[in-house]
Amino acid sequence: MKKTVRIKINGKTYEAEEGESILSVCNRENIDIPNLCFNEALAPYGACRLCMVEVVNGPGKKGMTTSCTLEAVEGLEVVTDTEQIVKYRNVLFELYLAQAPNSEEIKEMAAKYGVTKTRFAKKAKPLDPLGNKCVLCGQCVRVCDEIMGTAAINYIGRGFHTKINTPYLEKNDACMGCGACAEVCPTGAIQMEDIYDKRIMKSWSGTEVKLKKCKSCGRYFAPEPIAEFAYAKLDPEIKEELKDLCPDCRRKLLSRKEILISQGEVSKNED
Amino acid sequence: MKIKTLQDLENVRKAGIKKLFPDKPRIAVGLATCGIAAGGQDVYEALETALKKKGVNAFLTKTGCFGICNEEPLVNIAMPGKPLVILHKVQKEDAESIAEKVAKGKLPEEKALCKIEEWDHITSEKPFFYGKGYENIPLWNEIPYFKPQKKVVLRDAGIINPEDIEEYIAVGGYSAVYKALTKMTPDEVVEEVKKSGLRGRGGAGFPTGLKWEFTKKEKSDVKYVICNADEGDPGAYMNRNEMESDPHMVIEGMIIGAYAIGASEGFIYVRAEYPLAIERLKLAIKQAKEYGLLGEHIFGTEFSFDIRIATGAGAFVCGEETALIASIEGKPGRPRPRPPFPAQKGLWEKPTNINNVETWCNIAPIIKKGGEWFSRIGIERNTGTKVFSLVGKVNKVGLVEVPLGTTINEIVCHIGGCGIKSKEIKAVQTGGPSGGCIPRNLFDTPIDYDHLKEVGSIMGSGGLVVMDEDTCMVDTAKYFLSFTVDESCGKCVPCREGLKRMYDILEKITDGRGTEEDLGILDELAHTIKATSLCGLGQTAPNPVITTIKYFKDEYMEHIKNKVCPARVCRALIDYFIVPDKCKGCTICAKNCPVGAIDGGPGLIHIIDQSKCIACGTCMDVCPFDAVVKLSGEKIDTPDKPIPVKKGR
Ligand SMILES: Cc1cc2nc3c(=O)[nH]c(=O)nc-3n(C[C@H](O)[C@H](O)[C@H](O)COP(=O)(O)O)c2cc1C
Ligand code: FES
Repeated sequence: MKKTVRIKINGKTYEAEEGESILSVCNRENIDIPNLCFNEALAPYGACRLCMVEVVNGPGKKGMTTSCTLEAVEGLEVVTDTEQIVKYRNVLFELYLAQAPNSEEIKEMAAKYGVTKTRFAKKAKPLDPLGNKCVLCGQCVRVCDEIMGTAAINYIGRGFHTKINTPYLEKNDACMGCGACAEVCPTGAIQMEDIYDKRIMKSWSGTEVKLKKCKSCGRYFAPEPIAEFAYAKLDPEIKEELKDLCPDCRRKLLSRKEILISQGEVSKNED
Repeated sequence: MKIKTLQDLENVRKAGIKKLFPDKPRIAVGLATCGIAAGGQDVYEALETALKKKGVNAFLTKTGCFGICNEEPLVNIAMPGKPLVILHKVQKEDAESIAEKVAKGKLPEEKALCKIEEWDHITSEKPFFYGKGYENIPLWNEIPYFKPQKKVVLRDAGIINPEDIEEYIAVGGYSAVYKALTKMTPDEVVEEVKKSGLRGRGGAGFPTGLKWEFTKKEKSDVKYVICNADEGDPGAYMNRNEMESDPHMVIEGMIIGAYAIGASEGFIYVRAEYPLAIERLKLAIKQAKEYGLLGEHIFGTEFSFDIRIATGAGAFVCGEETALIASIEGKPGRPRPRPPFPAQKGLWEKPTNINNVETWCNIAPIIKKGGEWFSRIGIERNTGTKVFSLVGKVNKVGLVEVPLGTTINEIVCHIGGCGIKSKEIKAVQTGGPSGGCIPRNLFDTPIDYDHLKEVGSIMGSGGLVVMDEDTCMVDTAKYFLSFTVDESCGKCVPCREGLKRMYDILEKITDGRGTEEDLGILDELAHTIKATSLCGLGQTAPNPVITTIKYFKDEYMEHIKNKVCPARVCRALIDYFIVPDKCKGCTICAKNCPVGAIDGGPGLIHIIDQSKCIACGTCMDVCPFDAVVKLSGEKIDTPDKPIPVKKGR
């Protein structure tokens, strides 16, 4: 068990696990801090710079820092909304509005903090591969690498010209079509679509992933690599029975079995 | 042979001394990159041929850079028992006459820059005495360029052969390793470095002893030391020279550091653009291994240590320590937030101590002479010397090593000999793209970590770029911004997006489209980027803009309000004119104009069509009569169409 420590946020005392990120604590305690690159499931990244807080007391360095990378230690004291933080954050929102002018999510988030306009030229044509909605928070890249172990997408180029996509902007076989990237994207930038027997990762250079056909109803239900990925983790016996069934048919099969068991027609240990 | 004991070291030292003081003339050609670029390699080969042809019995060898790059190629000659004489601007054509003179026991005195009678290599037991003589040649430290200098880091540069470990050992090299390993505990080594007050020479000036202590305290089976040789600041080349001229001093420092913190492996991260440095480091590592100074059981102790070289592909941000570590690990060179610091979690998650090349170069002298000795050089809180690369609009360029706390004026005006063609010096830029521009009226500022910070700049790695009346400060700020925009890794938003927006505004101003409101936005962006960026690149990149606005606001205002570039640099704001009274109708300008903007003909006064002119300046460069002028916000009267040149002129 990790040690529990007491920290102060905006003058109020909270308990936290030692080493836990201050942003996690704030999320749990409903203390509002905007953020784009933080995800509990991923390693802290510190790129969006929106989650700034000011350390006013504690064993480490004082001053402004990102709360997602700030670890809870006994006696740490931070404030979340200083005049300075608000001022700098507003400029960052303006930069985001110019970088991702087509993202409704970014507009909403900025508006929530009172920023509705930007003084900087909005990115126009040529559109980036993600339709000028991407803010390069890197959640998609990290979930693909850290969680799925696939690393099908990555950064291309550097600086102002950085993009996220598949290598050489070509279709990438490594992609399993799991869609975790689209799931974590905070700006709605990642597009994918299932068309008949294929999943098309529109944002990832049109990468195509074959879908698995349900052996019972014939419906295409999940990307093949993901199904295989999941089967590899299953108990081999269960695997055979449930293999290649769509979720609906799987449920049907199982409930039918339950009924048969309850009617005593099949003994529980039979299979 | 493997050196195991003090006696072994002493034997090698004696062998090395024989090479430094042979019983025949020793001729050493300066062959660091600066010397080679000036033709040193040709000089070396010509000397080799000439000496052979004339059958002169002399010892021809190579050496590093003596620091006065203006005067390259440098050749130094030592006759037995006579002062070491440094010849400058030696050409391959001089080889024969040099060989002839040397054959007669003489020197080409007319080529002499200075002489050295006695030299303190710092690490040797006592200074080396060459001899007295040559009354007409000034002593090295009598000439203005060297007078205020103090060579601690450059103690061997330009004197010993960087490719020969025996010569390094001859001047006391590796005796500090011997002392540390056999007579001091790791704690004592750290203590000595702390006592010296040495601060990191990579830019931020963090106390080195303290950093070592942090890494030492971490408990881990494996620890690493890294030498940061990524040197990416435009105009800076101290580290390159240190490695090329004296690679063993870097290695020696790293061995001592590794012993102190308990590391068993080290990496030197060098940018691939430094092929000669890499070559000499590789050779030095190989030699150190052959002599048993790297590898298992150094000096027969329990301590084992090895060094590998990692090359960087030239991204500026890879000089940042966390990006550098990622790069060695084979990952993209992007910084990550600190903490954890490398001392806690560095290379492959192991405690890692990373120091700049020049920081490592200071270690052997500190161990040899003591921290106390070192702390007496320089000023309080800023001890020791610093090597600067003095470049730009200054008379003498080169590597300058001075005690910290020396004033800008001393360096730029006394050592550098002020502006070229007696132009007025306007400012000096320190710290590269992370630094600031310091105006002339602040030239009495001592150069050290704290004073530079006070005036809004930073020490950085030691680049000093001099600017004169022909330098536009807005354009300068724009140049540095274009560099950081290009080099930003793109991870965090302020640096990636913000710097580009700053650059766009600066471009607007230099194009004559700027407004006063833009200055306000520039300021707001600059402070936001400084305060919120993830790594040092973004945190310091606005400095050139902030300082130029602070000290040269009038220049910005001229661009904005009057559409005038006072230094006549910004193309959109300058016009070229042909002075009718000076034009001789030679047609050269019209022939060379790339856009056909010049009207005229033989014997006619030429006229530039301003609507076609792209302000490239070619006409001015080619005019043999200095008839073309460059103006900003002004005009001169010119005829409407080409008329004959007045007779009798
Ligand atoms: C963008 C950037 C570039 C850097 N480049 C270098 C470099 O080329 N060489 C260097 O020694 N330090 C460089 N640094 C500083 C390093 O991060 C680190 O502080 C230094 O190597 C520590 O060594 P020291 O304590 O001996 O100075 C750079 C820092 C930043 C932010
Ligand atoms: S959430 Fe902290 S920097 Fe993005």
